[in-house]
Amino acid sequence: MLLRGKNAVITGCLKGIGRTTMDVFAHNGANIWACCQMPTGEFESHIKELAQANGISITPVYFDLSDYEQIKAGMKIITVGKQPVDVLVNIAGIAYNALFHMTTIEKMKEVFEIDFFSQMLITQHLTRLMARQKSGSVINIVSVAGVDGNPGQVAYSAAKAALIGATKTLAGELGVYGIRVNAVAPGVIQTDMTASLSKEKVNELLSASKLHRVGLPEEVARALLFLASDQSAYITGQVLRVDGGMGD
Amino acid sequence: MLEIFAMNGANIWACIRQPSESFFSYSEKLSYEHNVRIMPVCFDLRDLNQMKAAVNLIMSAKLPVHSLINNAGLTYNALFQMTPMDKLREVFEVNFFSQYLFTQYIVKLMIRQKRGSIINISSSAAIDGNAGRSAYGASKAALICVTKVMAAELAEHGIRVNAIAPGITETEMVVQSMSRDVIKETIAHTALKRIGEPAEVATTALFLASNLSSYITGQVIRVDGGLRK
Repeated sequence: MLLRGKNAVITGCLKGIGRTTMDVFAHNGANIWACCQMPTGEFESHIKELAQANGISITPVYFDLSDYEQIKAGMKIITVGKQPVDVLVNIAGIAYNALFHMTTIEKMKEVFEIDFFSQMLITQHLTRLMARQKSGSVINIVSVAGVDGNPGQVAYSAAKAALIGATKTLAGELGVYGIRVNAVAPGVIQTDMTASLSKEKVNELLSASKLHRVGLPEEVARALLFLASDQSAYITGQVLRVDGGMGD
Repeated sequence: MLEIFAMNGANIWACIRQPSESFFSYSEKLSYEHNVRIMPVCFDLRDLNQMKAAVNLIMSAKLPVHSLINNAGLTYNALFQMTPMDKLREVFEVNFFSQYLFTQYIVKLMIRQKRGSIINISSSAAIDGNAGRSAYGASKAALICVTKVMAAELAEHGIRVNAIAPGITETEMVVQSMSRDVIKETIAHTALKRIGEPAEVATTALFLASNLSSYITGQVIRVDGGLRK
């Protein structure tokens, strides 16, 4: 129960790492604003059961990351109850696989819109609250591609690299308010996003990982749990790779 | 470290240099409070025979060893030109060679079990290179390299190897070896504008020792409050 009594905003809760993170945070006692693009019957009944089973509250918040007005309306839903926001986990994002010369500038902008600018807007809104509370933990999901580069993912990796730069700068700017800002860089994780890669590409990536296996969404969620909790109270400005040892 | 691990239900071989009555009674109290086994093991890192005896003591328990935390070490502050070779060797002896050898022994056990987590306590000085810390920083940098190599070599045996690089932490080592002005200045360079607590390094070690970090290996986690050079 590492997050008992804490309130967390998680984006990208519909599926993949976001969904699993919501589950892990719920099991650990956090109240959650579960953000995703649009409601589905399955999602609504899942969060109802999850909240009930863990004795916590989960509030769904729906917005499209490419629409600033929707994001702002979503932030209003979160802030209107005057509850403290202890944790923000920016998970939502899109992958885009194309070689550099095949990536139009429009597509590049679209990827940055969803993987970078929208995160900045959300983080601005919520860290304003955290600064008033004098505490908070922000965690951005990036990617090993943003650190190492990955042929065929120029837009995605550049947007994630931008998010890493922002993570480190925000850690420096917001530390005085007791706000910690860190990033988690997953390697090859079993999600729909990874399923968009070819089998050969996945095998190539896995052979570079020391543990020689694909990671589970739970394993990323648990690293997020650590960074969200007070267990990591003196850690800020870091990029934690959850990649089975792919780096260097 | 000992306290945080005991609180979280681990049985512990607590290694210290010299027998100490106050330590024994403290660990006995901890073990009683948290209902875990704490077995003190006394040896000097510089003495091969003592280390071998300690390893035998640990092996004789016939218990699996799930995690190893190489935490012991010494600090040494002197400018590069003022660091005599014998001092440099001594620092490497304690901070690097002894950890290397001790880990070789314990890894033998872990390989048989097909699992394990090793955590080396390095230092932000190993990465940043602080003036006056060539011997200490270099010994801790060597430890980081070995961490990554071991992660690559031991992954197939289910053993994860990671390092923690603490920044300025309120320990005896820091308080005794650094002037108040230097401590103040270093704190000013952290994002969080405060010194770290030993418990904050320990909870990170706990994370790396536990299954919460099952897909993390070969990493160096800085626990430094956002230290900028």
